[in-house]
Amino acid sequence: MARGFMGKILRVDLTAKSIITEEVDEKIARKYLGGKGYGVYLLYQYIKEFATRGISAKDMDPLGSDNPLIFMTGPGTGIAGFPSSGRHHLMALKSPLTGSIASSNSGGTWGATLKFAGFDGIIVEGASDVPVYLSIVDGKAQLRDAGDLWGKNTFDTTRILKTVVGRKQASVMCIGTAGENLVPMAVIMNDDHRALGRAGVGAIMGSKGLKAVVVAGNEKVPYAKMAEFVPISKRCLEAIEKNAVTGEGLPAYGTAVLVNVINTAGSLPYKNWQTSVNPDAEKISGEALAEKYLTKKGACWGCNIACGRITSVKSGPYQILASEGPEYESIWSLGSATAVKDLDAITKANHYCDEFGLDPISVGSTIAAAMELHEKKYIPEDDLQGLDLSFGNAAAMVESVWRIAHKTGFGKYMAPGSRKLCEFYGHPELSMSVKGLEMPAYDPRGIKGIGLNYATSNRGGCHVTGYTIAPEIVGIPEKIDPLVTEGKAQWVKIFQDVASMVNSTVNCLFTTFAISTADYAELLSAVTGWDISDAEILKIGERIYNLERVVMNRLGIDGKDDTLPARLLNDPLPEGPAKGQVANLDKMIGEYYKLRGWVDGVPTAAKLKELEIVL
Amino acid sequence: MSIAASSHNSNSVAKEMITVEIILFATLRDKYGRRRLVVECDGTVRNLIENAARKLGQSFLTSVYDIRRDKVREDLIFAINGRNIKDIKDKIELKNSDVIAVFPPVAGG
Repeated sequence: MARGFMGKILRVDLTAKSIITEEVDEKIARKYLGGKGYGVYLLYQYIKEFATRGISAKDMDPLGSDNPLIFMTGPGTGIAGFPSSGRHHLMALKSPLTGSIASSNSGGTWGATLKFAGFDGIIVEGASDVPVYLSIVDGKAQLRDAGDLWGKNTFDTTRILKTVVGRKQASVMCIGTAGENLVPMAVIMNDDHRALGRAGVGAIMGSKGLKAVVVAGNEKVPYAKMAEFVPISKRCLEAIEKNAVTGEGLPAYGTAVLVNVINTAGSLPYKNWQTSVNPDAEKISGEALAEKYLTKKGACWGCNIACGRITSVKSGPYQILASEGPEYESIWSLGSATAVKDLDAITKANHYCDEFGLDPISVGSTIAAAMELHEKKYIPEDDLQGLDLSFGNAAAMVESVWRIAHKTGFGKYMAPGSRKLCEFYGHPELSMSVKGLEMPAYDPRGIKGIGLNYATSNRGGCHVTGYTIAPEIVGIPEKIDPLVTEGKAQWVKIFQDVASMVNSTVNCLFTTFAISTADYAELLSAVTGWDISDAEILKIGERIYNLERVVMNRLGIDGKDDTLPARLLNDPLPEGPAKGQVANLDKMIGEYYKLRGWVDGVPTAAKLKELEIVL
Repeated sequence: MSIAASSHNSNSVAKEMITVEIILFATLRDKYGRRRLVVECDGTVRNLIENAARKLGQSFLTSVYDIRRDKVREDLIFAINGRNIKDIKDKIELKNSDVIAVFPPVAGG
């Protein structure tokens, strides 16, 4: 087995309560790396295997026992000196929120610690009839009764399991109330405040009766060429430290600094995207967070960027003694999308999302959609049960988060996410989602490339699938005009391919602000012993993205789904520097498909052959 | 509004002076202790920054402007009424009441 891997994956059958250890397939790892890539490969094998049993993946219940959960690290995970390498990735065949593939990535320490415990990944199949948790300590994996943990929030679960294991370096990944209640916006939390955050993966874990996975161990991840790795690593870490964004901007203000940046560009969605200039952006900005809430900074395992914000709300009705965040996306969704300008309330709502295990992007966006439905009088008062969902009502926003997690009162209606909520009330156009996944905090009417990325992102409305904000707003690696459409298809494709690669090595996407794919090729070659070039690493990223698309096609998702909400296509922005602009998706998507070698959202046989994808 | 000579050369053709608002963000706020300031200038970006530096201290000039290349520093976000200066292809002539936003190198996601 190549170095960089522990060489072992656990296959856990919760129905049979059995655990077996399998070897990592080096041929597959060489083609798809680890993390997302290896997971996508396995998902395609599931589709083939299901077909032999007469099971249609397209018709499969995402909360049924057939939906696998694949937790994977990569060859870059857990290696000191491989930049920002404490992460792990999760793939599931079908999201309960979207019906599409579920893909999610998390920081913290869990990914690295899984490798220290002796394993590269865990495949979870079936469903347990009683609550269980998985303990993986020093190479020994056991399923244990979680009856006493069921019903507990994520912070309590984490604290209890760390105590049970009795190891300071143990790391806990778990679901909270929302996952147990099968809320389709539920996340899987790890290390208290880090999350596999999107596409409702917490509900899948809840449907399996799996409360938590605790890991601990002291194994070392093997390197192939230590002497070669050290100077490459030193060069990359120094590049990150000296880079203006990763060495200065992110450590100083975290991601929340973008609130003012994006609002200045007239692209910070406000009141469920009715406009994208927020008059109160300053009150909920990263600068305000740093001034009044920040207590110290935090970092994931092996990260020298340290974008994490340790915060507190010192007094008042939303007092919290210690929390983490809110990040930019959470401030936007729980604040700007809902027109809430009380940063105390936003911080509390974000804390609730971590405590109960919810995705703040989808939750905030769903509350914002409910607020617009309420504003337009589409919701009968009886359904609201006294909840005043007026835009800007901070108390109602915070209460909504609690109600969604517990599926009580109007929370029952919001829990399925904005698409189903808006469909239920007869106005699907008010769900600001793509493929059922709520879009993040950048309005494509003012930033065209990110709109093309949202539309073509395999998992749905997602920014990190292809973060063109880097060139369009920040100017990395070069500045391009956010209001033009020319050339955006190429940028989106490259960013999607690079992100697929980084999510498969598995490292932090923020590293790509400072280090290149050539750096990644050198790091990976030194760690694994493979001779891997810059060109090959990009091809691997493209291969992963294409196979993921093939899996989606098998789920019935194709070009008809590669679109944006009608509001972004048809309603010009009413104010700000992008006034009068629409998303112009029609001007970009044809070129994108051509560059991809896709026809109507489906990879051609020639493209699959070129990428050596064998179906 | 006032009529005054260019800041570079008192013998040059007199230009109409305009008033522009500058908003500082992130670490620039900490460094200069100001969020907003109103600055008079002759309509050029260089003159605006030079005059702002007279209020904020000379380090502001080098923090924001690449004097050797005679342009705003590449790593900043310098937006005129929300449009990044790097995206403006036409010759830049600032107007009265324009709003300039200046961010140090930042990013997120």
